[in-house]
Amino acid sequence: MKPIFVHALLLSLSVVVFAPAADAIPDRPEKLQFPALKYEPPRAADHRVVLKSGPVAYVVPDRELPLVSLVIYVRTGQHTEPAGKEGLASLAGSLLARGGTKSKTAEELEERLAFLAAGLNASVGDTQGTVSLNLLSKDLDEGLAILREVLTAPRLQEDKLALFKQQTLQSMKQRNDDSADIEQRERRFLAYGENFWVNRHATQASIESITRADIEAFHRRWFHPKNFVVAASGDFDRAALTAKLETLFASWPFQGDVAKPVPTDKQFAAPGLYFVEKDVNQGRVSLLLPGIRRDDPDYPAVEVMNDILGGGGFTSRIMNRVRSDEGLAYSAGTGFPGGVYYPLSFVAVFQSKSGTVAYATSLVLDEMRKIAATPVTAEELETTKKSFIETFPSSFATKGQVAGALAQEEFTGRYAKEPDYFKNYRAKIAAITAADVQRVAKKYMTPEKAVILVVGQKAEILKGHPNHPVKIESLAPRMVNVPLRDPLTMKP
Amino acid sequence: MNRQSSIRVLFVLLLAAAFVPALRAQKVPVTEHILPNGLKVLLLERHDAPDVAGGWVAKVGSANERPGITGIAHLFEHMMFKGTPTIGTKDFKKDVEILNAQERVRELMREEEAKLRAAWRRGEIDDPQKPENRTPRLRELGKEFQQLVEEQRKILVKNEFDRIYTAGGGSQMNAYTSYDVTAYFITVPANKLELFMWMESERILRPIFREFYAERDVVFEERRMRTDSTPLGKFAEAFESLFWESHPYSWPIIGWPSDIAAISREQADDFYATYYAPQNLTLILVGDFDSKRTLAMVEKYFGRIPKGKKATPDVVTLEVAQNAEKRMYAEAETNPQVDILWHTVAYGHADSYPLSVLAQILSTRTGRLYKNLVLGPQVATETWAWQGSRKWAGQFNLGGECRDGRKPEEVEQAIYAELDKLKNEDLPAAELQKVKNNFAAGEYRRLANNHAILQQLMRAEGAGDWREINEGGPRLQTVTAADVRRVANKYFTKENRAVAVYTRKAGAATDEPDFAGLSDQQKPVARKVLSTIKAETNLAALKQRAQQLDEQLSKAEAKTQTFLKLLRKKTQERIAELEKK
Repeated sequence: MKPIFVHALLLSLSVVVFAPAADAIPDRPEKLQFPALKYEPPRAADHRVVLKSGPVAYVVPDRELPLVSLVIYVRTGQHTEPAGKEGLASLAGSLLARGGTKSKTAEELEERLAFLAAGLNASVGDTQGTVSLNLLSKDLDEGLAILREVLTAPRLQEDKLALFKQQTLQSMKQRNDDSADIEQRERRFLAYGENFWVNRHATQASIESITRADIEAFHRRWFHPKNFVVAASGDFDRAALTAKLETLFASWPFQGDVAKPVPTDKQFAAPGLYFVEKDVNQGRVSLLLPGIRRDDPDYPAVEVMNDILGGGGFTSRIMNRVRSDEGLAYSAGTGFPGGVYYPLSFVAVFQSKSGTVAYATSLVLDEMRKIAATPVTAEELETTKKSFIETFPSSFATKGQVAGALAQEEFTGRYAKEPDYFKNYRAKIAAITAADVQRVAKKYMTPEKAVILVVGQKAEILKGHPNHPVKIESLAPRMVNVPLRDPLTMKP
Repeated sequence: MNRQSSIRVLFVLLLAAAFVPALRAQKVPVTEHILPNGLKVLLLERHDAPDVAGGWVAKVGSANERPGITGIAHLFEHMMFKGTPTIGTKDFKKDVEILNAQERVRELMREEEAKLRAAWRRGEIDDPQKPENRTPRLRELGKEFQQLVEEQRKILVKNEFDRIYTAGGGSQMNAYTSYDVTAYFITVPANKLELFMWMESERILRPIFREFYAERDVVFEERRMRTDSTPLGKFAEAFESLFWESHPYSWPIIGWPSDIAAISREQADDFYATYYAPQNLTLILVGDFDSKRTLAMVEKYFGRIPKGKKATPDVVTLEVAQNAEKRMYAEAETNPQVDILWHTVAYGHADSYPLSVLAQILSTRTGRLYKNLVLGPQVATETWAWQGSRKWAGQFNLGGECRDGRKPEEVEQAIYAELDKLKNEDLPAAELQKVKNNFAAGEYRRLANNHAILQQLMRAEGAGDWREINEGGPRLQTVTAADVRRVANKYFTKENRAVAVYTRKAGAATDEPDFAGLSDQQKPVARKVLSTIKAETNLAALKQRAQQLDEQLSKAEAKTQTFLKLLRKKTQERIAELEKK
């Protein structure tokens, strides 16, 4: 174990007396001169280890603190859930880490982890599972032994399953309480369709039908080293940890399966204004458009375009117009995430008092038209590009981030196709021109296809505001009332 | 920007006896310096990543306000991003003329607004803030003001302060206001440290509060988003106000709506002169820099800010001792739950350490509340426990969400039973050690990156003294079982607590789609019956019930038809569900 800081306590309380500044302070920050900053992103080759036992691991030593972090990414997800068993993936994740092991009851496992101040967690999300261990390096061997047992011989204790099922059912009852939750859920229905797998929600019936045998089958099917990618960082020697990982994954007691590719049969809703009635004094608005995959050649230009339009916080056009100029919203912006497996939708979001929902929506549509009609300014382009380029090193500020980012490249398959993605990233952004931005804006910013979701007091929102004559029904070809779904069946 | 309270953060250091002794002496080697103008500077060199996390705290929060200007500290947090004489405008001279003209119009508007409040007191209008109720004169002035805004917009350079940082590679730029402190922070690439110096010293030295009145509207939207439109926001605000009697913690950080609408530029200027003087600020840098050179740069840029004329006033109002238990019963769109607060102690108080240990004993998955309320007798599905020490006073919070079918009062009693055990029995040594081990490991985990360390220093400094990040940990490690038992007996009394009991609001969104057409008397009955139907697993019983409902329906009156049809529909759905299995 290494000390945190080389020096011992070094506290000094002093009144500082300095010589007056030699050179004057300029009136504008552009006049300052900055030293060059050389930075090269981490290279996969420096950390990548193909374990004999199957998984690829990224092993990044970091001796500053006496801690070790291990994250195992698992190729599984909600898309593998059998019909009628919605909620299985999430329950399986919870029970794996919280349900005990062959040699320890759930209670014994929890107590031991707590005494060691170790974090051991598992979860299964939409397209990946995660099992993580974070502990003091002095406890690494014991922690790895526990992890091995969790992965290969979990107890999946019945009483814990019953508890998690009950907790899931109870939290379902809150599905319509918060307007933000309603908005988020309906947004996905509109962007990807009622039948797309991301919209198969757990229901009372599906949760009640899940048995320990279902969880066990799910675990044995997917939690196998051939489905694992590992990110390890912390206080260890690289060779020593690699050997420990080999032991961790050796001679697996069961045969796993390899999941089918993530389904991509999504369906975008018909253009229109979709209203969900909710009695709150602020309407929540999501404006959706069909999206893009991250490996699309257009994607770098789309990232820059989105940043200028609404992704760049206070520097973006929509924030300036909706918040700073008009005071119509606290948060306003856009997101255009490139999908890994299928195109993820574009979304512009804001929240505004009922009376100004219509006006603010019209401003957002207006900005979408503008960015397609006129090239962005040289200054806007420069600001955004510099921001992407200069903040790039912050993605790798800790060794944990380095291991995690590289492991994600491996897991999502980009490493295989584009091993130099990080190395080339800044050059790709630097090459984007105003013409590129306008071309993708024309292609993707298509207000006529917009699906506008509004959650709030419909009658008040339809009234509009005395100072702004725009009516919300004039902004879309049709208006659809979306009923609230029953929280336990998800049926409208 | 974020509104936060520091309630959920504990700053601790040092190690459990179980750990190797070599680690025991490690502290975060911050150096402290005071400039001649009173500015405190904290520096911590770390050379892992090529960046610097920089920030500063103004030791002012909502507790420094008074009725009439509540929310002003938070409004400042927004205004500090509006620029300087050279940042944010193309023509500063004209900018100042317009700002002054705007203020003259606003003065007249305030006179009209006073008339509206008078009309409201007489009952002539329903709400002095509704646009529909404005006087003709106020409408005129509003138009005049709007023209000045349009005029200013022509020379405005929008959000230029943010744009410069963005182009300079700044990230995580944000700010927050708490009850005690206002904090501003950003991470810049290591080579841009001087940009940070320029930007931050300029905005402290000569901020220009442009778009002041539009920003109040933004704050209103922030209030609607956080407080009005969330299931528990407005109730949590009311509960906090009920809890604090004399202390300024009784008003919300974001301010009362009437005050936000009435704050003037002049009040803002006074507030700034009082609380943003360098002797009330602490500048903090964590990251990849050379301390000696950096300190020289700090002196050059921040040393030019003149010292404030007066010392910053202390908050003198102490919370009065509570004489009787307080209870609030709220019907909200939420699962039933109970939330309990006790008055405890301020940041750095000797009792805050045993109270923090006590909170840990009760919280987490192996803590007593989870074991004995969630896992054991199963009265709750979720529980929580916090010791929240703020700068001027503190509170302890316990609560839980009821398991279906259990009442908030049952959860409440179960919590008191756990407290009684802590009052009457010493903690077993292993349980105390487990908690201390977690505090000790947390000492390392919190040091993961520059930004995280900066945040902790800002919070500790805002709550009283940054040294607490080195001194709190050892104090936690010395807490004994007897200390815990003593504080349990001292603070957890009936007279010292306030209890919020939440039940689900009748006819809340959960059942709306089905309950359309039911009378208010029928709804609660339907809710009860439907929950038993949903829980029923006996197929035969359900089928029999469906048959009975058919019979009842054939002879029911019109007003009970809807009700019975709903029950029949739900019974059939449940039958179908069970048959599918």
